[in-house]
Amino acid sequence: MRGSEDDTHKSAGAELEELISRCALGDRKAFDALYDATSAKLYAICVRILGTNAAAEDAMQDTYIKIWNNAAQYSVTGHSPMTWLITNARNTSIDRLRARREDSDLADHGDVSTGPRMTPEQSELSVSRAGRIKDCLSSLPDDRSDGIKAAYFDGYSYADLAERANVPLNTMRTSLRRGLTALWECMTQ
Amino acid sequence: MSEEFDDDEMLAAEYAIGLLPADEMEAARRRALSDPVFSARIAEWQAVLSEIADFESVTPPVRAKTAIMHQLFPETARVSVWRRLGLWQALAGGAVAATFVLAFILWQPGPTDQAGPLYTAEIMSQAGDFRVVAVVDKIRNEVILTRTAGAAPEGRILQVWAHGPDEPAQSVGLWPDGESIRLRLPPEIAMVQGTLTLGVSEEPIGGSVTGSPSGRVFGTVDIPNVSDSI
Repeated sequence: MRGSEDDTHKSAGAELEELISRCALGDRKAFDALYDATSAKLYAICVRILGTNAAAEDAMQDTYIKIWNNAAQYSVTGHSPMTWLITNARNTSIDRLRARREDSDLADHGDVSTGPRMTPEQSELSVSRAGRIKDCLSSLPDDRSDGIKAAYFDGYSYADLAERANVPLNTMRTSLRRGLTALWECMTQ
Repeated sequence: MSEEFDDDEMLAAEYAIGLLPADEMEAARRRALSDPVFSARIAEWQAVLSEIADFESVTPPVRAKTAIMHQLFPETARVSVWRRLGLWQALAGGAVAATFVLAFILWQPGPTDQAGPLYTAEIMSQAGDFRVVAVVDKIRNEVILTRTAGAAPEGRILQVWAHGPDEPAQSVGLWPDGESIRLRLPPEIAMVQGTLTLGVSEEPIGGSVTGSPSGRVFGTVDIPNVSDSI
């Protein structure tokens, strides 16, 4: 349905996709199976962002409650099942991390973008790029790849990163934008 | 991703990573809701970034699952309170699937054993762009559905699903075209006593090949206290 992944990947993805669509119909057994199949992956993300503590558990619980409640919207996001699940876990954890910091400068990530479904052509482009982000990130200068990772996993904005590195906001923004441009160039080569 | 790394591509990346101040994040989020191209770019960055979140699995404590299940599916004694709360939240938050359920007693001329309850419910998408009124007729074990808003996308059809409490969903039938359709309930669905859940999805012509919805699920509705007798 979404691009031409290899067969093993496709069958695991198709299985998760089916579980999510059954959750959309209120099928509790499907939710149970989806939890068992994915919770260790999603919990690892919550722990990376929030540390091993009650907050990570709470974030994972919130994530699965959102997954159950938003399962009907899944098919219109155009995401692969794991991208949707991971992005839900990451955004929920980051929102909690920011709330803990009492950082009023940043809006909640809220739910994963529910934009319209991508065309199959677009999905195939994504798939062809799959697996390249790690190599491309490590090809960047350390401060840029670290900045991008710190923003994604530690919830830091340009302003936070500038403050932490003790550089002007514009300097940080220009540097990371160059990093993002280089990342994009590497992935679209 | 676009052919060229333009300002929108940068904005999509910055939004997906979360680099922007609150007001700019909010502006980008709003734009994504009405701009499919921009929304697709964000989705692509989210997909790319999700690959760096591929850590070694960490098994969560068993209590986490118990807590989730308890929160989502409280035991029967608390169901009614939870449902009311859920409905209130749904209405206050913009309505997920509006549940206006009325059980009528249908008095028909003729033998009394033909009299049975009739349940009506509405299935509505979260965005409100799709609405179906459903009538479950327990005399004939049929469901009659009527579209009041929305339709399947071009080249797709509707498919109707149902399940009882803790049962897997199964197809009730295809709804290829027309404003209304009458479908016979499959035997397993006709036997459901208690909460009957109905849902509608859009599927390829010929219906889902997986046995579960494969396209967008427009919405579901829970009809409580369904039984064969009045």
